Amino acid sequence: MKLLITGSSGFLGKHVVAEALRQGHQVRALVRPATSLDGLPWRDHPQVEIARADLRSRSGLEEVVAGVDCVLHLAADKGGDVYAQYGGTVIATEHLLEAMEAAGVRSIVGISSFSIYGYLHKRSFSLLDEETPVESDPRERDAYGHTKLVQENLIRDFAQKHGWRFVILRPGAIFGRDNLWTARLGMQLSDTRWVRTGAWARVPLSYVENCAEAIVMAAACDAADGATLNVLDDNPPTQSQYISALRRKLDHRVQLIRIPWFVMRILARSAWLTNKIVFRGGAKTPSIFVPARLHARCKPLRYSNRRLRETLGWTPRWSLDEALDRSLAPTDPVDGEFARASESAQAQSKAELAA
Amino acid sequence: MSSKTPYRSAVIGAGKISEEHLRFLTTSPAATADAVCELSPALGEYAAEMFGVERAYTDYREMLQDRNPDVVHILTPPHTHRQLVTDCIDSGAHVIVEKPIATSNAEFHDLWSMAQSKGVALIEDHNYRFNEPVLAIEKLIEAGELGDIEEVEVRMALGIRGGGRYADANLPHPSHKLPAGVLHEFITHLTYLTLRFLPTFDRVGAAWSNHAGGELFKYDDLDALVIGGSTHARIRFSARTKPDCFCLTVRGSRGWAETDLFQPHLRVVTPRPGGEQLSPLANQLINGVALAGSSVKGFLNKVRQKTPYEGLGTFLDLAYASLDGASDPPVTFDDMDRATRLIEALLAEENQV
Repeated sequence: MKLLITGSSGFLGKHVVAEALRQGHQVRALVRPATSLDGLPWRDHPQVEIARADLRSRSGLEEVVAGVDCVLHLAADKGGDVYAQYGGTVIATEHLLEAMEAAGVRSIVGISSFSIYGYLHKRSFSLLDEETPVESDPRERDAYGHTKLVQENLIRDFAQKHGWRFVILRPGAIFGRDNLWTARLGMQLSDTRWVRTGAWARVPLSYVENCAEAIVMAAACDAADGATLNVLDDNPPTQSQYISALRRKLDHRVQLIRIPWFVMRILARSAWLTNKIVFRGGAKTPSIFVPARLHARCKPLRYSNRRLRETLGWTPRWSLDEALDRSLAPTDPVDGEFARASESAQAQSKAELAA
Repeated sequence: MSSKTPYRSAVIGAGKISEEHLRFLTTSPAATADAVCELSPALGEYAAEMFGVERAYTDYREMLQDRNPDVVHILTPPHTHRQLVTDCIDSGAHVIVEKPIATSNAEFHDLWSMAQSKGVALIEDHNYRFNEPVLAIEKLIEAGELGDIEEVEVRMALGIRGGGRYADANLPHPSHKLPAGVLHEFITHLTYLTLRFLPTFDRVGAAWSNHAGGELFKYDDLDALVIGGSTHARIRFSARTKPDCFCLTVRGSRGWAETDLFQPHLRVVTPRPGGEQLSPLANQLINGVALAGSSVKGFLNKVRQKTPYEGLGTFLDLAYASLDGASDPPVTFDDMDRATRLIEALLAEENQV
């Protein structure tokens, strides 16, 4: 298949392109006009075509989209205020969908997020799966969760309206090289000082290479058409287990400040009530003191990847231990893999020329 | 209030500044938020839902025809103002427009003539003029506390080169194409505040620089001297100096006053009871206490998410109160004319340093 992958130069996108090439697809990798290609191990791969565009502008997108079999839409904005994230996530998706319609491309895999679920009223230790209701009051959540929910609805509504093939994937906490901390652990004060709350809460981790494999498989899987699937690895560890495993492998000491879950809940509830009563809801408090956000990060719940496994026939390739080893290896194994592939291709080319 | 109140108002552009306008429209007895128009359907719906606006549109012409609003707030990037203002005036609506109203003085005059011929108001947002510390300085001047004004300094530092929408090389902001580049987005604030205390100007010298270089920014620094009669004004803008500030200092023949509109406080140095010997001490004590009070207020403002746009509410209150012609608008033809003329003078080749 020929795949257009938006957000190709991002943390997840880099691995999705790599995985698409491994699975034998042709890739059109969309990167923003001013983004450097350094650090993208597949940039010279013969099956990769680099396309330059910014999805926040509608201009020229039809040409970018034209001729592909499926779009893997990863691009989203995580930084800035809600307006910046509307631009990079929602408006970007509006433009992409319009361009796909104009270019006659009728298949999309949309990458959503676990952050779209409603956590506050969910019972502790209950199962969170694809049937769990999405957040009913996105304004209580952060800009990321809000815009990802709007983005997911846009993709599903547009695809259904136009009779397209579509798959919505909702990854859990994606981790990997340089992204080993997740907000689902609490709050990272600095590289060496972490606040952890909810030691027994399971963390729905998705190692970036495992996640990338599921995304690429969804593009070619007929059974996934119209499906919404959570993406997470097997046996999600508790916060305690993940942090212990991580601290054992890190080469520097991390000071952990432990706040019991029930204490943090009381603190957040008190802060929220104070805000409502004293400031009429107009006060700005850190996310961890907003109950809807705190629960979304650290509430103890159970998770399952059953539907993903059954629909795609996917099993995570790398265990937690292996994933941490790959993430903390002195050099990125993916870089090494593509460097070797490139050397081998060059050698073969020279041999053919000599012959 | 006129018999027409509350006015049915519409907003074009649902970016960040629209929050401030829509908050006013949904809380003021003078207006109702009737419609919002935004090119992105999702962003338009977000704004409408957030502020309980009846309907969101993606086509402003359709909105003007459907809703026939009494007042339109134009909150889009500057290069779109001419067309939007023209069409809104044509529809018979009063227009309140974000700065800069036009990219030249001649363009402003064209828009003004159109508004006059249609009998509708055209008002550019000069919100910082209505921030509490600026109004307090005006009161001091009116009371003669500062004496005759001799010097004005308006200084803005904004780290826009370090990141954010203006520094985004992937999708250059449309303001980069304005005559002063992205500084054109801010220069109206600097000129209207200067001209509040410097009624005329006859000599101008301006040094426009791009100190950090590169192709994206036309300028990242302005250092200008403006002289009107015997009063001197200095206008400074820096995209590199840290931390961000928006300082105003007014010096008179008796004393001086200064503020920072981003970290609001008011420091006033004037003759105090106790004569020449005790005045310096009294000024230090009084300003020390005032600064401590401002710190507490600043902290509470931060918690309450109050922004430096606090003057916008006062500006809009006065603008709506003037729509029936019973009072002068908060920003008059003369204010807008002089601000656009000063911007042109700062950009004029013969005035470049």
